[in-house]
Amino acid sequence: MKKSFCISMKKGPNTMNMLLHELKVYKKNTIIWSLTLSGLVVLFLSMFPTISREAEEFKKLMEGFPEAIRMALGLSVENIGSILGFYSYIFLYISLFGAIQAMLLGVSILSKEVREKTADFLLTKPVTRNQIVTAKLLAAFLSLVFTNILYLGAATLMASYVETNEFSIKIFLLLSLTLFYLQLIFLALGIIVSLLIPKLKSVLSVSLGIVFALFMIGAFASTTEDDALRYLTPFKYFDFTYIIQNSGYQLSFIFVSIGFIAIAITASYFIYTRRDIQAV
Amino acid sequence: MNVFKREIRANRKALVIWCIGVFLLIASSMGKYAGLSASGQSINDLLTQMPQSLKAIMGLGTFDLTTAVGYYGVLFIYLVMMASIHAAMLGASIISKEERDKTAEFLFTKPISRNKIISSKLLAAFVNIVIFNLVTYLSSILLVQQSSKGEGVVGIISTLMAGMFILQLLFLFTGSAIAAKSKQPKSAPTYAAGIILFMFMLSQAIDLDNRLELLRFLTPFKYYDAKNLIYEQGFESMYVLISVGIIALLIKATYAFYESRDLDI
Amino acid sequence: MNVIEINGLTKSYGRERGIIDINFNVEEKEIFGFIGPNGAGKSTTLRTLLALIYPTSGGAKIFGKDCIKHSSEIKKEIGYLPSEVFYYDKMKVIDLLNYSASFYKKDCSKRIKELAETMDLNLNKRIDDLSFGNKKKVGIVQGLLHEPKLIILDEPTSGLDPLMQQRFFELLLEENRKGSTILFSSHILGEVQRMCNRVAIIKEGKIIKLETISTLQENNYKKIRVQLNANLDLNYFNIEGVSNLEAKANVISFLFRGNINLIMKKLSEIEIANVWVEEPDLEEIFLHFYEKGA
Repeated sequence: MKKSFCISMKKGPNTMNMLLHELKVYKKNTIIWSLTLSGLVVLFLSMFPTISREAEEFKKLMEGFPEAIRMALGLSVENIGSILGFYSYIFLYISLFGAIQAMLLGVSILSKEVREKTADFLLTKPVTRNQIVTAKLLAAFLSLVFTNILYLGAATLMASYVETNEFSIKIFLLLSLTLFYLQLIFLALGIIVSLLIPKLKSVLSVSLGIVFALFMIGAFASTTEDDALRYLTPFKYFDFTYIIQNSGYQLSFIFVSIGFIAIAITASYFIYTRRDIQAV
Repeated sequence: MNVFKREIRANRKALVIWCIGVFLLIASSMGKYAGLSASGQSINDLLTQMPQSLKAIMGLGTFDLTTAVGYYGVLFIYLVMMASIHAAMLGASIISKEERDKTAEFLFTKPISRNKIISSKLLAAFVNIVIFNLVTYLSSILLVQQSSKGEGVVGIISTLMAGMFILQLLFLFTGSAIAAKSKQPKSAPTYAAGIILFMFMLSQAIDLDNRLELLRFLTPFKYYDAKNLIYEQGFESMYVLISVGIIALLIKATYAFYESRDLDI
Repeated sequence: MNVIEINGLTKSYGRERGIIDINFNVEEKEIFGFIGPNGAGKSTTLRTLLALIYPTSGGAKIFGKDCIKHSSEIKKEIGYLPSEVFYYDKMKVIDLLNYSASFYKKDCSKRIKELAETMDLNLNKRIDDLSFGNKKKVGIVQGLLHEPKLIILDEPTSGLDPLMQQRFFELLLEENRKGSTILFSSHILGEVQRMCNRVAIIKEGKIIKLETISTLQENNYKKIRVQLNANLDLNYFNIEGVSNLEAKANVISFLFRGNINLIMKKLSEIEIANVWVEEPDLEEIFLHFYEKGA
């Protein structure tokens, strides 16, 4: 992202008008998604007091069972009574929604001009295709930044409100920020998918299909703890237990994420600048 | 008949992809079952004592995980999700796509009434979801039977699939009614998907917090809960009645809205 | 000086025919017509010049620069109007035009107002509320608002009513007087003849004729159909300048080139029910050229 930002600065102010245009187009969308995600986290966190009480009782009961069985559940029940533990569980749904937002954005942003037949307008203007890609990527990026700022605010406030005990804000932020990373990955995935399917008609079905497929792979990867499977689905790149224990991210998955995003973005520039825009 | 055939053909590829998807989902998750069943009885003991909300969070529900059917019950909600999304988007897009693809002028200037067009399209969509349901049904029986240790699975799976089918109908016609009403045909599938996601989240929230129990009526996902279908009284006649009523209403609405619609050309 | 130089431009689409070895130049301040039937390759050629699609081999220079490599630089001085116009549905006309203007780094607001007035275009409507013809007007204003040195038009008149066509052509001629070069494609011979200095005729992906309009007009011929009251020997019309003579029931049709008075005299001497004098359609022109070539 930083790289593309530099490109736009170098090539002069012409990307600016496209950027503003794209931001305007996606304004309503961004606001709706930001409110949905924030609302979702507030709703879930509001259930925390009840659940933490129930978890406390259950924890006492669990002590009678051997460790192996607790592990077999695939999740550490002990955590659930704490805000961080609880947050890890509900985050699954938040990440699902976040992924859908980013995927839709990614799939639509570069393919939109061709699908809605406005490509002739934009591509006969005195701008390079690289500049177009840059402006669009930047707009998508900023839209996600906005969503995440709102989300971070809502989540942190609500968490401090419902959790009476002390908890590590740093870890909470580390966890919450994975939404942003996840969205960046899905944004990149969406963009590359939209360029690989030449005549994309239904953005929604393609996006939902892919997100749900990856989500389900993730759901099953978590029961087997199969590390190889984890690399297949971005939903499993950020292991919350690991983050909570180490107050940091697992490096191998960070590399995979950055690598994937870099390759996808580079490929999008490459494909987009070389593609024929057919008459309608 | 020609519109019907055209629609069947147009949706063929997507249907095949969805069917492969659902098969892979069942296959991969039943494969997991083998691993889980090994740890055996003690998980079950623990689970029976786990509070409802905790189980909901872990996506386990009240299932007996030592049996293949119980395990399948956990999976069922994902199947239902897939089937609902498929049905809703199919219903929305089959109605709205003529306007989206600018083929409306072509089709609606032919000597065929709007009602007839809608009927053909809905029939084609109906056939699609029947096929989707049958594929899910057969793959479930095949794959669950393989992992089960002799207990009967066909009966329970049949009940579950019947429930899923009603949900498919419900969402198919939700999609079509939205598309018939919506001024901007392009956004109809988006609305349909939004409604499903909302209802799904609501059903999850109800599991987490019993205070929301009253809202059950708002989300069809709760009408045909796998736990009730497997362990309790099977279908609750009240919910079936509600579903049938809603389906009838939605069909009527689809026709009425579309008949009085200004085509967006 | 040549504004456009096309050299061996070829675009192939797998097995389908695209365009093959196109060569022609467009000079400065020229109005150049590019005609051919549907699917002949007009749009493909124009879209390659605009770097919307990329040539398989050969290339073109615009303002002396490679049209692919320096595409964005060249486009500063190009205005383009596609045959079918599609714009961002949810925008208001004026917002779209301002967005368009924002690409050119000059103040176009006055020019937008002028053009909108000339074309009788309501600036405050939403694009998706406009009729096809009105969208076309948006396209025209959008293509001319930055006073481009080169105007490229792809079948520009489709969808415009005759009055608007007239105004549009006046507008183009005015731009041309101010120094713009114009390249436009069409399948309507009449408008090309009226507007252009020179034409290229394309058929099945190849340029089959490059001609000045004056030469073309020397070859100018009419398609004449006569409905008769009584039977008549076809040979009655077999005079100098008549070709493609044929009869269907009691209608006789032929192409005529030469002194129009000659044929009028012939017509006045017989009893006729109806007569049509038309521009020949392009297929007939091509037939004509092929015959001449043979």
